[in-house]
Amino acid sequence: MLADSISLEAVTVHGSAPERFMAGLKVQRLDSITIQQFRFQPLTDLLTFTTPLAFRNYGPGQLTTVSFRGTSSNHTALLWNGININQPTLGQTDFSTIPVAGFDRLSVQYGSSASVVGTDAVGGSILLGSAPQTEPGLSLMAGRQQGSFANQQTQLGARYGVRLNNSWTFSGKTLLYDGQMNNDYPDRQRRGYALEATTTAQQGLVQDLFFHNTKGHRLSAHLWVTDNQFTLTPENLSSRELTRTQSRRTMVQYEAGAWTLRSAWIRDIIDFGRGDFSDMSHSETDRFANRLEREFQWNLGQPASSLTLRIGGEWSHYRTRVDGYVLPVITEDRGDLFALMRWQATRRWLVSANLRQAFVTRFDPPFTPSVGTEYFVSESAKHLLTARGSVGRSYRVPTLNERYWKNLGNPDIRPESGLNKEAGAELRLSPNAIHTFTTSLTAYHNRVDDWTYWNPDRNYRVENLQLVVARGLEAQAGWQGSWGQLTAGSRAIYALTRTSQERVYDVYAVDIIGKQLVYVPIHSGTLTIYLQRGRSRLTGQLQAGSRRYYTFDNTKYLPGYILANLLAETTLKWGTWQGRLQGQVHNVLDTFYLNVKRNAMPGRHFSINLLLTYNSK
Amino acid sequence: MNKLVLRVLGVGLLAGISWSCQERDPEPQQAYDNGVFVLNAGNFTDNNGSISFFNREKTTAEGDIFFKENGAALTGGVQGYAEGGGYGLILVDNSTAGQDKVEIVNSGTFKREATLAAPDIENPRSVVVVNATKAYVACWDATGDFSNFYKNPGYIAVVDLVTKKVTKKIAVNKGAERMVQVGNDVYLGYVGDANSITVIDAGTDAIKRSIQVGTAPNPIAVDANGKIWVSSGKEVVRINPQSNAVETTLKVGSDLRKSASHFAMSPDRQNIYFLYSFYDAADGYKQKGEVYRFSINDTSISATQPFANRVFSGLSVDPMQGLIYAGVTPSFKQSGYVLRYRTDGSVVDSVKVEIAPSGFYFKQK
Repeated sequence: MLADSISLEAVTVHGSAPERFMAGLKVQRLDSITIQQFRFQPLTDLLTFTTPLAFRNYGPGQLTTVSFRGTSSNHTALLWNGININQPTLGQTDFSTIPVAGFDRLSVQYGSSASVVGTDAVGGSILLGSAPQTEPGLSLMAGRQQGSFANQQTQLGARYGVRLNNSWTFSGKTLLYDGQMNNDYPDRQRRGYALEATTTAQQGLVQDLFFHNTKGHRLSAHLWVTDNQFTLTPENLSSRELTRTQSRRTMVQYEAGAWTLRSAWIRDIIDFGRGDFSDMSHSETDRFANRLEREFQWNLGQPASSLTLRIGGEWSHYRTRVDGYVLPVITEDRGDLFALMRWQATRRWLVSANLRQAFVTRFDPPFTPSVGTEYFVSESAKHLLTARGSVGRSYRVPTLNERYWKNLGNPDIRPESGLNKEAGAELRLSPNAIHTFTTSLTAYHNRVDDWTYWNPDRNYRVENLQLVVARGLEAQAGWQGSWGQLTAGSRAIYALTRTSQERVYDVYAVDIIGKQLVYVPIHSGTLTIYLQRGRSRLTGQLQAGSRRYYTFDNTKYLPGYILANLLAETTLKWGTWQGRLQGQVHNVLDTFYLNVKRNAMPGRHFSINLLLTYNSK
Repeated sequence: MNKLVLRVLGVGLLAGISWSCQERDPEPQQAYDNGVFVLNAGNFTDNNGSISFFNREKTTAEGDIFFKENGAALTGGVQGYAEGGGYGLILVDNSTAGQDKVEIVNSGTFKREATLAAPDIENPRSVVVVNATKAYVACWDATGDFSNFYKNPGYIAVVDLVTKKVTKKIAVNKGAERMVQVGNDVYLGYVGDANSITVIDAGTDAIKRSIQVGTAPNPIAVDANGKIWVSSGKEVVRINPQSNAVETTLKVGSDLRKSASHFAMSPDRQNIYFLYSFYDAADGYKQKGEVYRFSINDTSISATQPFANRVFSGLSVDPMQGLIYAGVTPSFKQSGYVLRYRTDGSVVDSVKVEIAPSGFYFKQK
């Protein structure tokens, strides 16, 4: 259940499941048990303990941005049911505002896949999805987390499914969540460093509706409303700061046979103010996005050989109002044409080739092709060895800030030019009925030229100045054993990430050539171990990272550290009722470490989670 | 404890006397008795300011000496430093309100002696040690948003160097900035809307008067004739501290785009160096400018013959050797440099320091 699946089979996810066309790229699907274990935590925590992604964290409940394979926070696409939900103004997502409760499925796709998913997918993509309930019936859920420092969260939800008639089925999910982090630390200092006074309140609503019939027609509607209020020094009424981040994401998708039509509207709002919050600076961006796709499939003679071609187009209209932009309201249109091909040449050999051309008002994105392949090198009843490789170009549409910010923005900014190459192998072993092993190794090289940079020598005006080369290795090993009632497993991931700026563009750039990019540890790893007996499970989670430099010349750094969590859980059943109790010890080693603002992070702390579920069947 | 305080105080006093009288020091030298402190502002939200130290004859600096001696970082930008009574006072400006502070260290060993924190200290801007037992720290108090930044009146926190506590706050105008001591008076300048200087009696801590000067006046230093120089908008003015009269007003240069900053008095108190710079909108807002110098006897400041043809993030003159120290900040995410110049404008050397070198403190025992 902890296995990273790098699956060769076409997955039975409908709609525009992008993973199908990513042959040769590594895709890590997180299992539902792991997602459940983190359901009261932000997405950051889940990814920190299960992937080698590096996060730049400003403190608990505060701004958290990602570095995927040594790239910048603008270089990770975050998709929700196939649509990129990065903030268009910033080109990134504050991961502290994305709770794990908001989605049912999570895949992490490593490496550039811009030809498949579009802009931002340079270091990798994070794919969040909603899943329909497969069985008819009703289940109701109430969950509560009570943690140290007066932190708490409540979740209320329902899942429902019903057969409407002989051909149509309906299912859905409704979830409300409401969290309050008071961060009421008993001691405001750790080893002479401050624990910052902050609070974060988070509310959200998730609504998914699915209709499908026996002829392959599917209609789904999705809504995700989030409201995140982060307050810095709340007790200091004259200098407190409020950052309120709200998103309203809606989507309707219709699938009829080979055709898929999708329409989405997303509004992102950020408000910032100080003191009495009477004069908030406001930014608001609307996106109206439409997508039409048609899939073609041909069987190529042999039973295992087929060719799938998916062609389509996207059109989005953007409208943004930001204090500080060159105009009070800015609109633009973006289009995409793409052709995705998946060729199952033989049962053992899979190839995908993808082409994409994006069009943006007042900007010219580059043509973006990619090709990848996977091959069963060796197989038997007890093992499977797969090799894979991929080469792809990537691009990123510059953020609205980069193009429209008064004075510092740059309307003439050029596209970044990226080329990602990678190769890897995976071995699965099941020597007997008790044990299964998986292990994989991946090497990559990702070169991004014309990397945009807020140039301090130009008073932080944004320019295409740098050349960044990220290269690294990722090794993963998993084991699972089961003996009747008892199961145990472990998974370890190690990542070596060398990412550096390689161009001399001024006299002092000499000091930063070849130096590791800031906040990206060269060595990082995670380890998860669990032991389960019946419905009770004990899990240990460990995450380690080497020093994180915070200057371009690597003269200054935050020391490396190891973080560990312990989680004990059990499920009790009474007829149609089920109670799941989890006890968590966070930072069980009481590790002292600092966030990027050089405030101390909390030491050992605790939470208790209770999830009550009623199932009609 | 009191004995220790007295002993430390005694050493400090001796140090002060021996410095001024050039007597032989009977006490053993401490690690930081001789050399140059470089105040590195750091990058604002990274809260990573630091103090570098080097001996004058060396060209490599020791980084973050506060961390080295105390095992914890300053966690903020370094906004100012002054010594007296055997102590050093480091002004630390954190990006979060309520986390600013003043670290009081032993000036010879840099070991922490005490920390002054909020609400005593909020946005500290400058410090002067007015006598062996008292220091003034000028503070903005909490700031507002950009529409009303200096929303609170400023204050001077009066620090008792014996108890190492803030004993009172002297209420002053909004945007309290730079202080210069003249005899028993402290001249306080402002940023923002203020247009006068406040004069405070350092003995009684009472405000004696204010002197009308002009836009955002800030005292620079006292010259060889005992007159105090003040920068104000595009001008510098000379004030007679006896009469409190503005004696001379000189316009600085004639370039409408440029403004003067980083004023530094020469050791003989005859010349004032300054940076004359602007952000060039036609060239991506690059900061451009030069360093110039004028004599206290000049009747105009033409700013046509640069002393150094580049911009700096800090400027100061070593009173012992007379070399001009200039801080270079390539970016707020990498190490800066200190360039040392002779008075003829030729470069002596450069010393790599830390992030955003913007101030200097010169020591000799």
